[in-house]
Amino acid sequence: MTANHPSHPDSAVASAASRGRFVPLVLLIAAAALWAGPWEFTNPAAPSAPTPAWAIDPTPVRRPKLRPEIDLAGFTYHCSDCHRHFASPPETVRSLTQHRHIELRHGINTRCFNCHHLTNRDALVDDWGREIPFDQPQLVCAKCHGPVYRDWLNGSHGRTNGYWDASAGRRDRRKCIECHDPHVPPFPPMPPAPGPNTLRMGDQSPVDHHGGTPNPLRPPGRGAHAEPHLTPPPPPPAGPPNMEDRQ
Amino acid sequence: MKRYLTFLADCVRLSFVGDWRYHAWMTLLTVVALIGLFAWCQQLVSGLVTTGLTDQVSWGLYIANFTYLVGLAAAAAMLVIPVYVYRNMHLHDVVIFGELLAVAVIIMCLLFVTVDLGRPDRFHHLFLRFNFPISMLTWDVIALNGYLLLNLHICGYLLYCAYCGRTPARIFYVPFVFVAIVWAVSIHTVTAFLYVGLGGRPFWNSAIIAPRFLASAFAAGPAFIILTLQIVRRYTRHQVSDDALLVLRRIVQVAMIINIFLLGCEVFTEFYTDSAHLASARYLYFGAGDRAALVPWIWSAIGLNLLATLLLVLPTSRGLPWLNLACVLAIVGIWIEKGMGLIVPAFVPTPLGEVVEYHPTLREVLVCLGIWAFGLLLYTIFVRISVPVLAGQLTYEKRFGRPHAKQDLPPSRTSTGVNP
Amino acid sequence: MSTDHRRDGPTPPAGREMTRRGFFRKGVAAAAGVSAVAAALSPLRHLAPGDIPSVEEFLRKHYKEMTPEEKNAVLARIAAAVEKRFGVRPSLLDPPPLDGVEFVYALNISRCIGCRKCVHACVAENNQSRSPEIQYIRVLKMEKGSIDVETSDHHYAPPVVPDQDSYYMPVQCHQCAKPPCVKVCPVEATWQEPDGVTVIDYDWCIGCRYCEAACPYWARRFNFAEPEIPAGELNPVMGLLSNRPRAKGVMEKCTYCLHRTRRGLMPACVEVCPTGSRKFGNVLDPDSEVSYILQHKRVFVLKQDVGTLPRFFYYFDERGSRYHEPIAPVRSEEPT
Repeated sequence: MTANHPSHPDSAVASAASRGRFVPLVLLIAAAALWAGPWEFTNPAAPSAPTPAWAIDPTPVRRPKLRPEIDLAGFTYHCSDCHRHFASPPETVRSLTQHRHIELRHGINTRCFNCHHLTNRDALVDDWGREIPFDQPQLVCAKCHGPVYRDWLNGSHGRTNGYWDASAGRRDRRKCIECHDPHVPPFPPMPPAPGPNTLRMGDQSPVDHHGGTPNPLRPPGRGAHAEPHLTPPPPPPAGPPNMEDRQ
Repeated sequence: MKRYLTFLADCVRLSFVGDWRYHAWMTLLTVVALIGLFAWCQQLVSGLVTTGLTDQVSWGLYIANFTYLVGLAAAAAMLVIPVYVYRNMHLHDVVIFGELLAVAVIIMCLLFVTVDLGRPDRFHHLFLRFNFPISMLTWDVIALNGYLLLNLHICGYLLYCAYCGRTPARIFYVPFVFVAIVWAVSIHTVTAFLYVGLGGRPFWNSAIIAPRFLASAFAAGPAFIILTLQIVRRYTRHQVSDDALLVLRRIVQVAMIINIFLLGCEVFTEFYTDSAHLASARYLYFGAGDRAALVPWIWSAIGLNLLATLLLVLPTSRGLPWLNLACVLAIVGIWIEKGMGLIVPAFVPTPLGEVVEYHPTLREVLVCLGIWAFGLLLYTIFVRISVPVLAGQLTYEKRFGRPHAKQDLPPSRTSTGVNP
Repeated sequence: MSTDHRRDGPTPPAGREMTRRGFFRKGVAAAAGVSAVAAALSPLRHLAPGDIPSVEEFLRKHYKEMTPEEKNAVLARIAAAVEKRFGVRPSLLDPPPLDGVEFVYALNISRCIGCRKCVHACVAENNQSRSPEIQYIRVLKMEKGSIDVETSDHHYAPPVVPDQDSYYMPVQCHQCAKPPCVKVCPVEATWQEPDGVTVIDYDWCIGCRYCEAACPYWARRFNFAEPEIPAGELNPVMGLLSNRPRAKGVMEKCTYCLHRTRRGLMPACVEVCPTGSRKFGNVLDPDSEVSYILQHKRVFVLKQDVGTLPRFFYYFDERGSRYHEPIAPVRSEEPT
């Protein structure tokens, strides 16, 4: 059997190899390209934005003193310091001459002495004219807001901070005026903390869902994207929305 | 034992031998597979952020390919049923190519699952705490690996017997073949149940998913085999009759018709009811506002499937060019439908109604191409080995027995040595 | 050349020596192949040392099988790793579940104003990744008259909240009594503890994300990249199963701040909520707030039809969200 016979091992091996001569070259080029090429991966996740400090601040929105005091010109006065000298006309709905920053927008409750004791301004008043101390404001609110007071007592209304397990620590029930300004009770609107910005989330501008059959719950012309009809809110606070009570 | 090691050594040696076209094909596949490996290594370093996956769409191209390929693997059984159950002898000599395809494809499936894992270094946890039988993923692990072992045994045994010049004993492969038929159906059903059992994804939580899986698998698998058999016929000595291809055509035809019917059932149920569970289907077919990335894909898939079905129903597809076209259309259409059209829409919108679209990244695509290339590489090697071995060209006697073996074999139809 | 070579390879001869040229060619080809594979594997040189598991990490047992000594060793190892990475010495504990406690959460959708402070307090408390951003809580702005989450808006950013025509529904892990995520995990990396909290063993999770697909409330998050936490914002009070820093490739989710709640404290989201919409407690205690709510308030759960029995209840009471309209017209005339 000569080397030119098609079945001779040498010629077979040689011919097979010659046809495959490009293979090592291609592999070496691929190796070089993979090793040395600019194939670095850059993470597309948005860089982390610092969390605004107010967004994780658990302090209640109001920090009332719960004491019958007022700060004027650097001094702290008891309410009775002035009010034991001045008598107030009892039954007039009129504008204040002092404490003019207080605006009473409490629904149909337009009478100051519904809550404040007529003669002792260091106290609040109950339905029979008896005094309620200033650090128990919930007893005043309870006079009219029965269901909410009941819910507050049972824990389904209002903030509970601290411990859920009373045996482990103190359960801190916040009083009414730590959220609600007694003169303008509706909880004030606030700017929302930043929304989600998750990995590769794409364009998240709102999509109109109101195609198709009209929904009787959403009459035309008034949809979820209409302008909110808020009465003028206080300007958004630049910092934390915790407003100290200015009594 | 020595004979077996020689068999393996000869298989390895033979896979490096061929003409320049073979070398070019194998080199191309190797390079693509290595690029895929490179991309996966980058994924190992940086995490799955190299892909386009998000918390909103947490399964994407990898699982889509996995789902499609499990179907292809199951369809290898489609060759077995006509031969072993119905004694259709046309496919007699090509059954082994279906099973070899199943082996290569199951390996691809396992690779796709591996690259999808966030912590593949914790693979061993599957053996330590296996949440069987509650988690469908554990069923899938058992089903896929069992199917791989079954087919490895059947093919390995038949090839080894041919290598040794022995007639294979029926007891060592026929029962396994019948088990493989049932097992093939079960692997795809179990994969379907992975999705079906999730109440939080109404797009998947439907009984029709499993039958659709099987119908589309039994269309795409034989279509793939029709194409690969013609390549085997052209480039190797192995004879493949046109009758075999026509039997496969019949299988693809029926499966495509059933697939289209089931698609119609799904579309009717979703759109006629017009309930809120429709959101994913509406996103898939019509988009949500201007977020409509999947719409061209699904309508192309439907068009391709309908065209393929039409071609298959017409007698023109008895001619090979039209048949090949129909097969290509079916393979691509079903790939889109199972991948883009099944996996991704279930995640859009999220269970909370957010719409985040999924766009696979380049690295993700490269990993997928790499695994496909690796699978094709394996399959080419399997065919490269099995044809000469089954034809009696490469046997133990020829290697170590009589030095002057017969060089000229009759060019007639060669037997695979398989007797059903 | 014979055309036969296209069809079969030549039968290698037995015992014949290779020629030198053939050997050289094969050697070059092999070397090229090896170098190509090495080049493909080259990105692994950038693997951080923490990414490659140490032997003890590799052989670590499942949480439920660990002895107390093994658990202490794990705690010490993780605390040392955190200190090394962040420069902060953590207090890392593994508080056991309390007896006779089943945690339940209630959320008053009449009072939630959608300020998202809960989202950010949770992020700060639980050491969640800032980049990529992970937030366990997602606040949905819902349209009035609809409970369908598909009409919700997650990305509202008006100047102030609340919006009059919407209500707000924050969603986080509901710690369901029949959790689908626990059902589907193939390695039992997530399970439900006796106090109702569904936890994840971050060192056991393989990152298959099946649980994320299974959750009907989109409550689970995956670390697609190495989580980034500014060292100055790290919360050093940590729990092994809750807020200790995670690695890439594992799942995480809300755990009702079990490092706090198992010591009797409120979760961070309850602490920070400015309107007191969030209520938390032990439903097995008849005197707890949540017991009262479940008995007396109009309570519903999200996606009840999915049957997961969440331990997270939404309730509403008599007040709507039109905060700035007076309840009744203001009387301007004086009483007679």
